[in-house]
Amino acid sequence: MIPISYNVRSLMVRKTTTFATAGGIALVVFVLAAAMMLSAGVKKTLVAGGRPDNAIVTRKGSGAELSSSIESNAVGLILATPGVKKDETGAPLGSGETVVVIAQEKLGGAAGQVSNVLVRGVPDNVLKVRPDVHIISGRPAKPGTDECVIGKALVGNYAGMTVGQKFELKKNRAVEVVGVFEAGGSSFESEVWASLETARSSFGRDGLVSSVTVRLDSPGAFDKFKATIETDKQLLLEAERETSYYEKQSQATALFVSVLGTVISIFCAFGATLGAMNTMFAAVAQRKREVGTLLALGFSKFNILTSFVVESVVLAAVGGAVGLAASLLLTFAKVSLMNQASWSEITFSFSATPNILLGALVAGAGMGIIGGFLPALKAAGTSPIEAMRG
Amino acid sequence: MSDNNGKSDIISLSKVGKSFWRGKERLDVLKELDLTMKEGSFEALMGPSGSGKSTLLNLIAGLDVPTSGSLKVAGSELSQMSEGDRAGFRAANIGFVFQTYNLMPVLTALENVELPLLLTSLSSADRRKRAETALKLVGLGDRMGHYPRQLSGGQEQRVTIARAIVTDPKIIVADEPTGDLDRESANDILNLLGRLNTELGKTIVMVTHDPAAAERATVCHRLDKGALAL
Amino acid sequence: MTLLGIAARNIGRNKLRTALTVTVVAISTLFFIMLRTVVWSWTSASEFAAKDRIATRHKVSFVMQLPRRYVDEIAQMPGVTSVSYANWFGGKDPKDENDFFATIATDPASLLKVYPEIKISEPQKQAWIADRRGAMIGDSLAKKKGWKVGDKITLAGSIFPGNWDFNVSGIYTTTTTNVDRATVWFHWDYLNESLPARSKDMVGWIVTNINDPGASGRMSKAVDAKFDDRDLQTITMSEAALNQSFLGMFSAILKAIDFVSVVMIAIMGLIIGNTIAMGVRERTNEYGVLRAIGFLPKHVAQFILGEALVIGIVGGLLGLALGYPFVNFGVGRFLEENMGQMFPQFRVQPQIAAMAFLLALGLAVVSAILPARKAAALQVVESLRRVG
Repeated sequence: MIPISYNVRSLMVRKTTTFATAGGIALVVFVLAAAMMLSAGVKKTLVAGGRPDNAIVTRKGSGAELSSSIESNAVGLILATPGVKKDETGAPLGSGETVVVIAQEKLGGAAGQVSNVLVRGVPDNVLKVRPDVHIISGRPAKPGTDECVIGKALVGNYAGMTVGQKFELKKNRAVEVVGVFEAGGSSFESEVWASLETARSSFGRDGLVSSVTVRLDSPGAFDKFKATIETDKQLLLEAERETSYYEKQSQATALFVSVLGTVISIFCAFGATLGAMNTMFAAVAQRKREVGTLLALGFSKFNILTSFVVESVVLAAVGGAVGLAASLLLTFAKVSLMNQASWSEITFSFSATPNILLGALVAGAGMGIIGGFLPALKAAGTSPIEAMRG
Repeated sequence: MSDNNGKSDIISLSKVGKSFWRGKERLDVLKELDLTMKEGSFEALMGPSGSGKSTLLNLIAGLDVPTSGSLKVAGSELSQMSEGDRAGFRAANIGFVFQTYNLMPVLTALENVELPLLLTSLSSADRRKRAETALKLVGLGDRMGHYPRQLSGGQEQRVTIARAIVTDPKIIVADEPTGDLDRESANDILNLLGRLNTELGKTIVMVTHDPAAAERATVCHRLDKGALAL
Repeated sequence: MTLLGIAARNIGRNKLRTALTVTVVAISTLFFIMLRTVVWSWTSASEFAAKDRIATRHKVSFVMQLPRRYVDEIAQMPGVTSVSYANWFGGKDPKDENDFFATIATDPASLLKVYPEIKISEPQKQAWIADRRGAMIGDSLAKKKGWKVGDKITLAGSIFPGNWDFNVSGIYTTTTTNVDRATVWFHWDYLNESLPARSKDMVGWIVTNINDPGASGRMSKAVDAKFDDRDLQTITMSEAALNQSFLGMFSAILKAIDFVSVVMIAIMGLIIGNTIAMGVRERTNEYGVLRAIGFLPKHVAQFILGEALVIGIVGGLLGLALGYPFVNFGVGRFLEENMGQMFPQFRVQPQIAAMAFLLALGLAVVSAILPARKAAALQVVESLRRVG
């Protein structure tokens, strides 16, 4: 086995070429990792809002809260369904909520640039149903008033969205921001939460809610709950576990990002791999005499083949590691995207999972193997006599 | 050794020194050389490796400038010339024959010979004609369209010589022209160089360590550690 | 025989290396074309927007509705030639729930007046207007679904529950890129009559033709002023402005695409530069001989840049040759049919092709500058020194 130090030193001798080729691979790995991390970040953000022991009830066939409407008198029936947990006072743990998307002026964007923000009208007990939500500045909104709290991703990004300021839900219907909440990095952090009555009357949705979210006695109680809800022919409802509901909500956007990212990465990978191949072919040609010497000394053709493949992999792995390290910096960045399913802007972050990091590194090494294989084959086919003569 | 009576000095070096710096260390390759060469002579430069013979050749050919001293070649004082001027000087006065890498592989023999003429203002037709004449002169009139890879080592060197004379320079500079050739081809090349000297009156300055080659020369200089021996 | 001619021939010296490099340039050019076409397709809608159309929506939210009578009020304003209105229906094909296409309820006669870009045969148009359950479908969508005139189709409503039956009355095409060809348009009356009283007589947005294209700003303000004191206020803007604001919501993606374009260019530059540098290093002796016989440093540089230029030209042309069919017949068709909302038209534009080609050339030359300078700066004697 030819020692790897031979390869490493050979790479260092031709520094510029090595850096150029490794640089190309670094860029590809960076783009691939970034796309995958954003896609994972999308899923993570959306799914983070859900609990396995919460169920969300919407109107049958609606697909999403935004398209769904349920009559107010049905809410009580839903909350009374067996399987719904009761709080310490014996009242059912559930909240009927109304969801509307409003156009708000974005700060720091083009003049007049608006973006969609999701406003959720919530009942007074919402924090009991969603205990992962915490007020981090200011205070909760007083029930039945025109106060609201906003998720921390909104702060400072839209006109009027800071504690103490007001913005309009509709004409002459302003709400005052009294607090900011965090919600474990979930999509709720991109929402405005106002009182249900205020939201309903502002948007002409009196007597309706978009959805009902309930806490179940246990995650296992879901199937029975779902069966009971969906057999009611009058109400025409469907129930879903909160976690899978949000997972579906994330699908379109996550898919879009990962497909876009993968297509881009494949193209770039093509280019970088051919670049690596070019470099290795030149190296093989340049070191013909060395290879001939090694063969004459007794190393086998297989040794030569592996040695050059290893060299190419080392080259690619170094580039890949640099690209990966750079992509990790992205975890400090935030991206605001239009989520397809809710048609509102949600702030996502880049989620670096071990799988992604490993996958990107493997992709980098793969480029090295593919790029280095043919040149290595050529090197292994060298005839020692000809090589020495040349 | 015969003498070229009545001919003037075409090359004259006066106290020429050449030094190179390797880091902080100074290497004196040539030390205060005095040397003259007559027009029409066939000069050989010999010596062990490291003696400075190639460096001397480079100076005479205008490829490099002396660190000190004066160097007059074909009427021009080379020690004061800029790189650009020397390039023009070389194009007009020197023909080059190196040991290897002389020819461009992507050009035919004819096109290789034409190369120096690109620097002149000759028309394309005139260039071709001159190049053809030169090739015929070296006996390769039937190989004009061949690429270097289709020629033997000896034939490549002949093409090189054709290129060296196509601009009709006064001086031909040859650095180990037979170094890569077998005995028979080497003889052919030396014969050719001899003919250029006796029939066309070209001054030839040749670096070699082949004694057989040195025998063809009219004057032979020996260098040792940067100074002329003898 | 010229310097450039010789430089061009140099690319034949190492055919494998040249082939690899040219392939990289071609792929990068192709990819660049694709990316810029994505951006163009997305943003072109706003460029081709009709100058004499303004759109009105609920001031607060895209998803909230305006009273139907606003339409009649706008129609009576001076400077208005015709008005139409529409509601987002959000229908799905029950056989393929994940296939997304637009279903919109509208007033057929006025829609076709306000959107002259929509082309439909006269008999089909009359049939559609006459049939309350009729639907007019874009040709891309119809082709994908295999729907033909005379078919009965059923769509599942998401906002409006239940199954809705339609008769395919006509298939339309468009003359411009800003209207997509993948929408199902049907009668607003059909939707309205099925709604509960509380939800009746509301429209999602209103589109107005004005007689003076230069007055779109003034007319928009006039419309909004008219409804300012009502309970439900409006916001009106020119079609171009509306498209722009939609685009703004995708600004992150557009920025990402721009970033990737730059990355692509960087990769291409690194690879071409590397290839040229390798070739230059191998030919140092040759350049030395050229310098010896009298060629100047600038000639050597020209050689090297010329070679890079030729690689750029060949690779660029190859990329274009691959790009046109790939985009126009492959990816373009796919996107127009399946994502017609976002990409109403996806064709290679001449200016994008030209830009991509010039980029390939420019990049090839620029990445060869460093190796060229280095080679030209070498002393003649250095170049002649035999490399062991």
